[in-house]
Amino acid sequence: MIQTIAFYLFAIMVVLSAGLVITARNPVHSVLWLILAFFNAAGLMLLVGAEFIAMLLVIVYVGAVAVLFLFVVMMLDIDFSELRGGFVRYLPFGVAVALVLLCEIVIAGGAWEAGPVELAGRTALAPDPAAIPNIQALGTLLYTRYLFVFEGAGLVLLVAMIGAIVLTHRARGGVRQQNVRRQNIRRPQDATRNTNPPVGQGVEL
Amino acid sequence: MGYTASFALSLPEIILSFGAIALMLAAAWAGDKASKAISVIAVALLAGAAASLLGPSGSGGVGYDGLYVADGFSAFSKLLIYVSAAIAIIIAPGFFDREGEMRAEFPVLILLSAVGMGMMVSAIDLLSLYVGLELQSLAAYVLASFLRRDGRSAEAGLKYFVLGALASGILLYGISLLYGFSGGTSFHAVAVAMHAGVGTGLLFGLVFVLAGLAFKIAAVPFHMWTPDVYEGSPTPVTAFFASAPKVAAMGLLVRVAIEAMGPAGDEWRQIMIFCALASTILGAVAAIGQTNIKRLMAYSSINNVGFALFGLVPGTAYGASGVLTYMTVYIAMTLGSLLCILQMRDAEGNPVETIASLSGLSRTRPGLAAAFAVFMFSLAGIPPLFGFWPKFMVFDALVDVGMWPLAMIGIATSVIGAFYYLKIVKTIYFDEPSDVRFVPLRSTTEGVLILIAALFVSPLGYFTVPLLGKATLDAATALF
Amino acid sequence: MIGLQHYLTVSAILFVMGVLGIFINRKNVIIILMSIELILLGVNLNLVAFSAYLHDLVGQIFAMFVLTVAAGEAAIGLAILVIYFRGRGTIAVDDANRMKG
Repeated sequence: MIQTIAFYLFAIMVVLSAGLVITARNPVHSVLWLILAFFNAAGLMLLVGAEFIAMLLVIVYVGAVAVLFLFVVMMLDIDFSELRGGFVRYLPFGVAVALVLLCEIVIAGGAWEAGPVELAGRTALAPDPAAIPNIQALGTLLYTRYLFVFEGAGLVLLVAMIGAIVLTHRARGGVRQQNVRRQNIRRPQDATRNTNPPVGQGVEL
Repeated sequence: MGYTASFALSLPEIILSFGAIALMLAAAWAGDKASKAISVIAVALLAGAAASLLGPSGSGGVGYDGLYVADGFSAFSKLLIYVSAAIAIIIAPGFFDREGEMRAEFPVLILLSAVGMGMMVSAIDLLSLYVGLELQSLAAYVLASFLRRDGRSAEAGLKYFVLGALASGILLYGISLLYGFSGGTSFHAVAVAMHAGVGTGLLFGLVFVLAGLAFKIAAVPFHMWTPDVYEGSPTPVTAFFASAPKVAAMGLLVRVAIEAMGPAGDEWRQIMIFCALASTILGAVAAIGQTNIKRLMAYSSINNVGFALFGLVPGTAYGASGVLTYMTVYIAMTLGSLLCILQMRDAEGNPVETIASLSGLSRTRPGLAAAFAVFMFSLAGIPPLFGFWPKFMVFDALVDVGMWPLAMIGIATSVIGAFYYLKIVKTIYFDEPSDVRFVPLRSTTEGVLILIAALFVSPLGYFTVPLLGKATLDAATALF
Repeated sequence: MIGLQHYLTVSAILFVMGVLGIFINRKNVIIILMSIELILLGVNLNLVAFSAYLHDLVGQIFAMFVLTVAAGEAAIGLAILVIYFRGRGTIAVDDANRMKG
């Protein structure tokens, strides 16, 4: 019972906040709705026992991706009001396309009972969660059978890093950088000078 | 199979990724001054990876617990991919130096993209398919916007990114349905489930996956990014996009269609026929009004991908070998044309991209004009040239399985396509010379590459038919 | 346990919302990037739900890779957006008609 209530709570919240992401007038609000959507999706994943993915969703998305979005929204000084123009024009067409897609996909989902499902195709049966926790089971698989893809994902992140730096890094002129060696070899004698000016005269610099 | 054996299978990917990481470090320390040396080493690494295909990584079978396969098909596709990637690296410094934007990361990104493409053509699991595809795509998004100061380049990158990410999302949704309704992510599991019966869920998965892949090869309903991206990207990057990723995505599509969705042949065949016909017709018709030569090459690539898809429709080994032959000849033709386009520079060295500037080229630059003419006639598939042979092969494969009405329609569309290629040849040979005088050929390497490509697509190319035919047929047989 | 169909419906709605978001916000690239994240969220929910109901861990592993790649994709997308904004002073793609098409 409590599961059903939780499911409907999370499901309704995730759908609502997804709707607000794409319709909010202010992109900062959109990002915040996106964060709410991710939290509720994580709740949905918890309900079916995928604990690790749920936590990862919160940490990676809310912690990194959503903050990156916020950062860019704030960093670029964009006049958002002028970007709203196309909204009304495309709305009816977009809604029509979306409704058709949605109906089709729900029908496909409904076919789950009707369509044949090959349970024999499974290759990584989930162990009993009481004996082996979800995170341990995932780790065992990830670092053995899926090693190849794991390394591939590492390269994906490397490309993302190289790409982001190559595109946005600018060598700025006129920036004074710290030169530790020059600081270290500089002696007080080179930088200071004792003078003994007579009364009434200033110091010649 | 132990890890050692699996590592031996994926030796090309290992060479390329370790090499790319080492070159990245070199680039970080030595800066952009070292970009020439890094390019040379990158080409050497690609040659090394190609050489390693002679060993177990060319025909060793399945590794990594069914995530990766090294067979004749993957080896042949990888060879094409490495050659095209090497050419893109070779022609890049000459182009970027003039813009003052040659950076040492360019060869590194191409290498990492080549790793992704290798993963794509070797994937026999939806998971390695996805990661390989994304590795290739992410590098491609960056390469498209590599000329940071050029607004068109950033715009090309942005359009490519948005539509590419949408296509990945659609592909992934399809993958999730295939996984759910077949119970596994390996191509074999999907094939077993489809053999038992194609329910609504599997059918939706199939449609979404094919839609995502059609985007990557720029087949018609999902082609709209191609002209903008080809026009806006720097020309060496355009040459890269038109060759290597296209071979990889085509190889992937052939493998998915035959190994994973083979039992659902009747379902995907209709989709392929539609894509093939629509691509050939739209590619030919939309190209006619173009004034920019790079946009024209984009429509030409859409048109040619359509013809290559005809080879997949019969679902036979002969048809698949036709696809491979088509891609081999196509990359020679398209790289040759883009190398010629790279020579189109006015007296100040700025690139010129209008078709009008080509008029009367035969009188000012007869050699370049002849090369252009050879590539255009070959792309049009006019018989004495080698471009005719792969078109003949794919239609022959159609006739073999009794689909001759489709072959007739295909031949009719190739006649429409011939029109705009011939229009360019007419501009070059029969129009009055334009005011634009192109600077003479500066790089002998580029001249030699153009010469090799032109010789390959000239009638001399028929001498390679016995060798090419055997290699592609062996490669295609590995799928069945 | 809640029926699998409920999960599939929620993720279908999320997927469609993402596609819809791309259609109706054609001018605002940041919202488009967020819509893509919604699509991937729908996919992840699908994968996790299938994984739970098949008692098979591959779906969860797949969802992890989707998360990883999505993070990289967001970084690249925002980087391209930043250089586009620097060059143009706007992020409207609809205005991107320097090239026709």
